[in-house]
Amino acid sequence: MIPMKSVLAALALTTALTLPGLAMARPVTLTTTLNNYGGDGAYLAVYVTDPQGAYAGSLWMAGGKSKYYEHLPDWYRATGGDPAQINGITGASVGAGRTLEITLDLADALFDAGYTLHIDAAVENMRDSPNEVAVPLTTDGAGRPARGRRYIASFTYAM
Amino acid sequence: MKKTLALLVASTALTVAIGVPAWSAMRVPQDDAKPQPIAALFDDGQEALPLIFVSDDDDDDDDDREDRRSSRYGDDDDDDDDDREDDDDDDASGGALNPAPAGTVAPPQNGLFGNGAPPQIQVK
Repeated sequence: MIPMKSVLAALALTTALTLPGLAMARPVTLTTTLNNYGGDGAYLAVYVTDPQGAYAGSLWMAGGKSKYYEHLPDWYRATGGDPAQINGITGASVGAGRTLEITLDLADALFDAGYTLHIDAAVENMRDSPNEVAVPLTTDGAGRPARGRRYIASFTYAM
Repeated sequence: MKKTLALLVASTALTVAIGVPAWSAMRVPQDDAKPQPIAALFDDGQEALPLIFVSDDDDDDDDDREDRRSSRYGDDDDDDDDDREDDDDDDASGGALNPAPAGTVAPPQNGLFGNGAPPQIQVK
């Protein structure tokens, strides 16, 4: 017979361990709609910088061939094109006029803490577009569309 | 006298060092079951040597100038007018590896992701 106190203690411990994990992350949907720029599929590097402007990590890479990553200049400069930065968060390039929706489980610590989400974009035989989008990650900014400089018609994140 | 002895010792050591492996590496009839560790090393090396076909055909990639002109990226000489669409040929160039696609491995542990759940993607 297991003492009641031990069962309660075990339950309290597992709850205490589980709750912070649930509270520390939330699903966030990033929606990126491209212009009809009349070219091939766009490579997009979605990444985050910290309050000091230093690269904090990547959230998504649209485009699977590493030989083209040098055309995403800011991301490439920060990472050296290291595939380990984007293992498990890489998908196909995005066609002109298409909308890419990515839902990620993101850490709460990214929001309202001075982090900025950036997107670099590149299209074959067209101009590279570093820092196509740069939006601060805040709870207030959720749902507000941002316009890109060249290839991205609109970008929003929703929580 | 000491000098002579030293020379003799040195020359003997050299002879042994060179001669024993060479002797051991010499071919013997197949039915000789005696173990020959040094010969075995040489045999392993021979098996591992790649078979290279040497051709006098001048195959020096100077026939693809058209492809080079067609791509500003220069390193794409695979005759398929690569348009950056993911056509599953997975040709990492220059030895660079392509990243693992979403869903095949967990997202990186960069502190940005919560519990390692795979991303959900939709293209409209």
